[in-house]
Amino acid sequence: MKTNPIYEKEIVSIILYTSLFFTVVAIVLILFFYYSRKKISQKELEKKNLVIEHQREQLRAVIITQEEERKRIAQDLHDEISSKLNIVSLNSHLLTTPNLVDTEISEITKNIIDLVGKALENTRRIAHDLLPPVFDQFGLDAGVEELCLEFNSSKAVKVNYQNEVLFDKTDNDRHLHVFRILQELMNNSLRHGKAQNISVFFEDKNESTSCTYSDDGLGFDVHSSESKNGLGMKNIESRIELLKGVITFESGLNKGTLVVFNF
Amino acid sequence: MYYPLVNIGYVVLFICLILFIKSNANQGKAYLIFAWYLGMVFSIQIISNIFMRLRINNLFLSHFYFVGQFIFLSFFYLNVLKEERQRKLVKLGLLLGLSAIGIQYVSDPGVFFKFNMFEIFVTSFLLIIYAVFHFYNMLNGKKEFYYVNIGILFYLFGSTILFFVGNLTTKLSPKISLLTWTLNAILLIIFYLLIVYEWNKSFSKKAIQ
Repeated sequence: MKTNPIYEKEIVSIILYTSLFFTVVAIVLILFFYYSRKKISQKELEKKNLVIEHQREQLRAVIITQEEERKRIAQDLHDEISSKLNIVSLNSHLLTTPNLVDTEISEITKNIIDLVGKALENTRRIAHDLLPPVFDQFGLDAGVEELCLEFNSSKAVKVNYQNEVLFDKTDNDRHLHVFRILQELMNNSLRHGKAQNISVFFEDKNESTSCTYSDDGLGFDVHSSESKNGLGMKNIESRIELLKGVITFESGLNKGTLVVFNF
Repeated sequence: MYYPLVNIGYVVLFICLILFIKSNANQGKAYLIFAWYLGMVFSIQIISNIFMRLRINNLFLSHFYFVGQFIFLSFFYLNVLKEERQRKLVKLGLLLGLSAIGIQYVSDPGVFFKFNMFEIFVTSFLLIIYAVFHFYNMLNGKKEFYYVNIGILFYLFGSTILFFVGNLTTKLSPKISLLTWTLNAILLIIFYLLIVYEWNKSFSKKAIQ
């Protein structure tokens, strides 16, 4: 078969350009793959760093809360207990002075009894604020009921409590988180939300317990970073994570707040 | 088989051009440049058709097509690619590519009257590199001109080989020549349809507003 030399030259030229083209494209593909992998692993690293940062923030919030609590307890003990006991001590010394009149003795003893009674009441209150004995002894249901009673008796807000779940007392360690979350939510509703009605509802849902909390207060902006980053919110988040639960917030300005979480 | 396909190609290209010109306001520089690109391609197609009917050899128009496509799409990618390193490479590529092609024409003017494989190679592989840059950028970000990019990559890949053998097929039997141009027409239709799809997905809503 006679091949025309012009065709031969043309075909050789075509073959050279085609193979050059494919080689260049192969190199481009390989470089694309290489750089894409770098980019993807970089993005993964960034994501992981964000998660670590978030956890660090949560830890910070917990530690700050802990220190604030300690400061409060120290102040309470100093103001309420230690000052009263001081006076009791003074009064007791007074009793040892000789030649006291009967009326004076009875006055001093009355003072001592009064002050000791008040100091006792204060220690009970401090202990109760730290961990309500009712919750500790009788479980979550009783604890929440007492909490609602306290808020009701302050007359600033009306709390409606409904419970369909039987709480196992052996699970009290986990239930403590639920209790603290409710305390935080109710304090927020009262102080920041200026709510007048609060409702708490426990029910069993799909093998887990669900709690629905709602108030009719001022609400807050669910998407603003300010409300997401508050100390109280961070602590609630940490506790929900410990409970391995999920929490959702629904709120709008002047539309009240609805919080649903399960555990 | 060939002529209907070519005519369908003309029609779809015309639709692309109309869509891109119609909703021109505030779509960004890249969009404008792409509209100009479609305009250029359409004009060259019309002129080629006229020359064909007048029985004048219109092969030299292919150079305007390749170089024009290279210039317009280089500027298109200059506006679409956001990373500074990539844009420097695009500018460098445009400069070096045009210089190389220019030098080749000066040293061998005869190549003006047939398909210039060097020109086809340089313009195609540079545009493919820019298209891959854009795909890399879109890996983690927004899909901007995604289907247009797919179209450009797809068409350049498919048609470059067809143009390489263009010089040979014009000398061989017309049947073989017809085969390559039919394939090219099909690739063009797919390319233009992708452009229409892109317009529909990304720009039609803004146009309605």
